[in-house]
Amino acid sequence: MAYEMLSGSQAAAAAVQRAGVDLVAAYPITPQTAIVETLANYEAKGELGGDFVSVESEYAALACCYGAAAAGARVFTATASHGLAYMHEVIHWCSGARVPVVMVNVNRAIGAPWCLDPDQGDSLSQRDTGWMQIYCSGAQEVFDTVLQAYVLSESLLLPCLVVFDGFYISHTYEAVDIPEKEKTLEFVGEKRFKPQVVPGNPVNLHGLTTGDNQILLVRNRHESMIKALDLFKQVNKKFEGYFARSYKAVDSVIPPGSKTVFVAAGSTVETIRWALPGLKDCGLIQLRMFRPYPAEELCAVLEAHDVERVIVVDRNCSIGMGGIFSQELKAALYNMENPPIVEDLLLAGGIDLTIDMLHRVLETTAEGKNADQKWGVDVR
Amino acid sequence: MEKEMLELRIHGRGGQGIVVAAAIFAEAVFMEGYYARAFSLFGAERRGAPVTAFIRAGKSRLMPRSKVYEPDYVSIFDSTMTGSSLISGLKRGGTLLLNSPEDIQSSLINALDPEMGIKLYSVNATEIAWKHNLAIGSFPMVNTVMLGAMAKNSGLASLESLTSSIRKRVTVKLDENIAAVKEGYESVKEVGSLVN
Repeated sequence: MAYEMLSGSQAAAAAVQRAGVDLVAAYPITPQTAIVETLANYEAKGELGGDFVSVESEYAALACCYGAAAAGARVFTATASHGLAYMHEVIHWCSGARVPVVMVNVNRAIGAPWCLDPDQGDSLSQRDTGWMQIYCSGAQEVFDTVLQAYVLSESLLLPCLVVFDGFYISHTYEAVDIPEKEKTLEFVGEKRFKPQVVPGNPVNLHGLTTGDNQILLVRNRHESMIKALDLFKQVNKKFEGYFARSYKAVDSVIPPGSKTVFVAAGSTVETIRWALPGLKDCGLIQLRMFRPYPAEELCAVLEAHDVERVIVVDRNCSIGMGGIFSQELKAALYNMENPPIVEDLLLAGGIDLTIDMLHRVLETTAEGKNADQKWGVDVR
Repeated sequence: MEKEMLELRIHGRGGQGIVVAAAIFAEAVFMEGYYARAFSLFGAERRGAPVTAFIRAGKSRLMPRSKVYEPDYVSIFDSTMTGSSLISGLKRGGTLLLNSPEDIQSSLINALDPEMGIKLYSVNATEIAWKHNLAIGSFPMVNTVMLGAMAKNSGLASLESLTSSIRKRVTVKLDENIAAVKEGYESVKEVGSLVN
């Protein structure tokens, strides 16, 4: 193992450098800037292995990646918050056009007012754009997931968003195992897709169609994305063979006798996991894959452990409804015979999850109107 | 390391190299065979604004990813920072390191409860930084001096590990920084546990 002390952002860039990309187009924004910086440094030293295009905006960054991917290039971009929001139209377009783009989003709250803390509302607001979404809990996972994202994305012809929290992951330096480029290139493999456009053969793509055709395309995209649930398992089996570690779409640490389970995505996972021995009868589920949504796997874990109470950690809020991860979980539980009660711990705005907060939220039972929603500021 | 995990907090100002210092320290601790993490929080980056960095060192790879609220160790890089929030949560029997001459004038020590048994250390990092010509304009770069002092009195990293990380991460005035870290390591002094 060749460990390097890297921040989450540097780990993302290191994976991109070892994935055999042809083109990176990116625009810096806090807290993602170090990704662009690190990739630009690789380029300056002639170590990127592809082109680095400086662009005038995030919209242009993703449009550039779209065009290059349509021409058969392996591409990468990264952004956060307002940058992701600004890309929104092209985010849809990449998915509809079935180009394999890998993008990192570093979670940051969206204004107004300006706020740099890691609210997940930026990536979650792109939920319905037809991109896979994978949430990472640390820098090693970031490195590994970016590599895996290329295999997923190119196999299914769907773009993939790799997500992690600003500061708590992006700015955290920790030891990351960085394998030899030769090995990572072999894992990612040759490109699995053909160019949609080639020089000398002009074509007009994605012209006007009707709903009657569009519904077939949407169904096709949906069915392709569902395949990612199985493919993720296969990709991780292969990954384990190469690098002796692997991941699940739904990971869990549920000691026998656990009555309550916390469900979390992103950096809060490790804080909860650390605190588990001190939390009475509690377990943890890490929701790593958010799109496609691993509903069956989630229900199977909850059923197998007879979980009575679920507390979802939502560092976001769909205003007028509540935490997005908890809404999705409730929808998934609809077909369960004895579903657990679901409560929501809202850390919207990007506030820190403390161990005290976990103890307090456990002590307060869900009674009365809206008692299933607890705001982090009230329990810290 | 006796405990499973130690938590450290650094306070300083933008431009003092707090962020890189925390990364260097974590890397040196990792070289000693422990797991370590370092991260920082800041607003819009600007010179002179307060910056906080957090370091965790432990025997297990698994650590919380929250901020450090109850540190075992607080290191204050900037001698003009004296708000009592800097030492908030400092654990009983914990360590406080100040950038200060031995005759500490900081009002911070009045905020310490003598019952807490806080071990107080000082290192004259500003003077040492000037001596080694480590300044940007009129702004002394005290980070490597403070790192030397932190390594010595925390016992978490050797001078060799620190120096080797500095060689990887510091790109300007390398010799001066290596001399500064050594002098910080050698000149940090225990001012004594606090008693009234």
